[in-house]
Amino acid sequence: MALTGFAENVVFKAQAPAQVIVGRPFQLTYSVNQRSRDLRAPEFTDFDYLAGPYTSTSSSTSFVNGHRTSSFEQTYTYTLMAQKAGTFTIGPATIRVDGESVQSNGVRITVLPEDEQPQQSSQTSQTSQSSQSSQTSASSSQASSENIFVRTIASKMRVHEQEALMITYKLYFANVDVAQLTNNTKLPEFTGFLKQELEQGEIQTQLEHYNGRNYQTAVLYRTILYPQHSGDISIEPAKFEAVLRVQTQQRVRSIFDDFFGSYTNVTKMLTAPGVTIHVASLPSGKPSGFSGGVGKFTMRPSISQTELQTNDAVTIKIDISGAGNMKLIKTPAIDWPEGFEPYDPKVTNNFNTTTAGVSGTKSIEYLAIPRSAGEYTIPPVTFSYFDIEDKAYRTLSTPEYTIHVKRGAGEQSAGSNQQAAVVSYTHKEDIKQLGTDIRYIDTKPLQIKNSQFTIHNYEWIWLWYVVPLIIAILLLIILRKRIKENADITRVRYKRANKVAQKRLKAAAAALKANDKEAFYAAIEQAAWTYLSDRLSIPTAELNKDNIAALLAHKGVSEVLIKQVKEVLSTAEFARYAPSTDHAMDDLYKATTNLINDLEDQKI
Amino acid sequence: MKRLILWLLAIGYWPVAFAQSEFDAANAAYADGRYEEAANMYQALIDEQPDATLYYNLGNAQFKRGELAQAILGYERALRLQPNNKDAKYNLAFAQSKITDNIAEQDFFLSTWVRAVRNSLQERTWLLLSICLFILALTGILLFLLGREPWLRKTAFHVAWLALLFSLIAGLNAASLHKRDTLRNEAIITQGVVNAKSSPDRSGTDLFTLHEGTKVDIRETLGEWVNVRVGSNEGWIRLSCLERI
Repeated sequence: MALTGFAENVVFKAQAPAQVIVGRPFQLTYSVNQRSRDLRAPEFTDFDYLAGPYTSTSSSTSFVNGHRTSSFEQTYTYTLMAQKAGTFTIGPATIRVDGESVQSNGVRITVLPEDEQPQQSSQTSQTSQSSQSSQTSASSSQASSENIFVRTIASKMRVHEQEALMITYKLYFANVDVAQLTNNTKLPEFTGFLKQELEQGEIQTQLEHYNGRNYQTAVLYRTILYPQHSGDISIEPAKFEAVLRVQTQQRVRSIFDDFFGSYTNVTKMLTAPGVTIHVASLPSGKPSGFSGGVGKFTMRPSISQTELQTNDAVTIKIDISGAGNMKLIKTPAIDWPEGFEPYDPKVTNNFNTTTAGVSGTKSIEYLAIPRSAGEYTIPPVTFSYFDIEDKAYRTLSTPEYTIHVKRGAGEQSAGSNQQAAVVSYTHKEDIKQLGTDIRYIDTKPLQIKNSQFTIHNYEWIWLWYVVPLIIAILLLIILRKRIKENADITRVRYKRANKVAQKRLKAAAAALKANDKEAFYAAIEQAAWTYLSDRLSIPTAELNKDNIAALLAHKGVSEVLIKQVKEVLSTAEFARYAPSTDHAMDDLYKATTNLINDLEDQKI
Repeated sequence: MKRLILWLLAIGYWPVAFAQSEFDAANAAYADGRYEEAANMYQALIDEQPDATLYYNLGNAQFKRGELAQAILGYERALRLQPNNKDAKYNLAFAQSKITDNIAEQDFFLSTWVRAVRNSLQERTWLLLSICLFILALTGILLFLLGREPWLRKTAFHVAWLALLFSLIAGLNAASLHKRDTLRNEAIITQGVVNAKSSPDRSGTDLFTLHEGTKVDIRETLGEWVNVRVGSNEGWIRLSCLERI
């Protein structure tokens, strides 16, 4: 390959119209920007060779700010004519530039069939419209809807929800001269669709064979639509306004009229028909992560690092690329584990709107900072979409990342005192309720303990009441004497205390009369002691003055009375063995009688 | 002593080792998330020998399957057999929080409290308590009559009448529970939505709507219709719409 310095500057190219019509001559031009010779054109097998090559040369030189720029162009022009309809390729030509052979590009030409109505003047070139034969036709018929109209072209009539389709408004015209298109355009609302307009470059005309006629066509408006709901959605007609140049209706008055031309501008309203799109709803069985994405997507996840220290940031990046309704894709959420401080994800969209729909890449960067050390598992992030080619839901998922977080250098363990003042603050957290669920099953070894809801053998239950009752009654019968004794010992003795005392006092009174000193003191002593013993329920063995005094005091008897009791008891004890008078005996009898009466009143 | 063991066996207080391998298999199925399989296995074990743990685990498996009414039934039955099972209480409360009907307790607070006390122990526990208290009361009476020391007699007297009173209360609780469990007049709605009607036939006026998992009292049964009460509402529904606890 002789890729020398000059060869890089050589531009040798072939040019021909993309569409031609059978039977109409067209021009194939080869141009080269260097002085050249010896052009070898390919064989025009599919075309009739009419004339050429005509060679022309042009050159120019310009000085801009002292810099000299020169351009040179040599063109070779062939005139050809297509023989039959179809798509044909004209092979590359070669030319010699400074002795080196240079090859041009090939040219692809679409040949359109002839118009089916040969009486129309369209067979001839556009300039021949002004020929005498067509002068008779009225200007209104020239601008008829057969000669100029706008088509509504939907790329698909049956789509799924959210599936992209393209609507194109295309102007077709033949036999008329379109001077300009006004801005008086009324586009439909496209209700029920999400609209994504395609950038409209300069309007370029193309030849197109439509309904048996060849038309000049121009794309007026193109948009990508995403249906937002299912059902039949109608798009209303669109209106465009064109200014046409038509011949005046005036008869030719002089030869000059015809020479200068008698044209007038006519404004024509063009209506593009409405169209109804059949939108199928998405099939059932939507995955849980489905958020409305329809198209064909791929996902490329990446993680910045899996080994890091606390307070270092970790980034998970997800690139979703493909074609479809990219703008509607929701950002999937990462369920960061506790201990991570997540930040809002950063989303970068890089979309291109092409005739095939919106394609490109949506990059999502999730940033989070681990605040405590440990090993964490980031659950997979899923993104579900409806695959428009396979007609099925697809779920893309990131892997499950495991992140090891080490304690950062700045953080000390809680026990170290050295920098305790600096890092003394530890953030205490309550146990966080993350979710609720039932408690787990009981897995302890099975022991059937309480297996019956109710007791069935009820008829014997009453025995458990009756048997102890019978035992108790039997015990009571056996021990009834003891009960009686119990009653005697306590209650009866208590109740009869006064009676017994009075009996003893009577005996004492008799002894006093008989002047039986011995008998009198014995009776008095017995009366006092027995009464106190019965009344206070003190066994005779435990009977003494202190005991009695304490019990009486406990029962709330007054000090004076207790003193009297003590006096009577000691007097009776000592007087018995000491010489005494009748007077003393009489006094003691009275004192004892009074004391017992007083104690009876006290109801001890 | 021999007699005591026999009696304890008769009322089902004696532990019996039983079907451990099947139980482990059912637990493994639950752990794997094969809840339906686990539920069937627990049910098979229950059919053989009912047990509180089995009912509790069955309730959990049914809850995980999304069978709310069956889960509530499992927990209720587990609590019948083991009224102090804390896990069953927790899960029952959790499951009840998921049901649609919100039947606020409309009873008088005292009767609610009495019912709670009654349900806190099993029937046989109440019965055992009642018998023990009765024997204690008899002992107290004997001590009162035969005792010599006044303080002993006094204490025995008070113990005796208190024991007799509580023995009576425990006995009444046991009888009440026995009635509840033999009549089985509490039920759980198992059908998603049920309209209670004014009369036991299809043409009756719809009175109120019940949802799956709600607990009702059965008052009367007539053919395939039952009269149920929920709070202050009463109406007839089909027997197939509920399951007795």
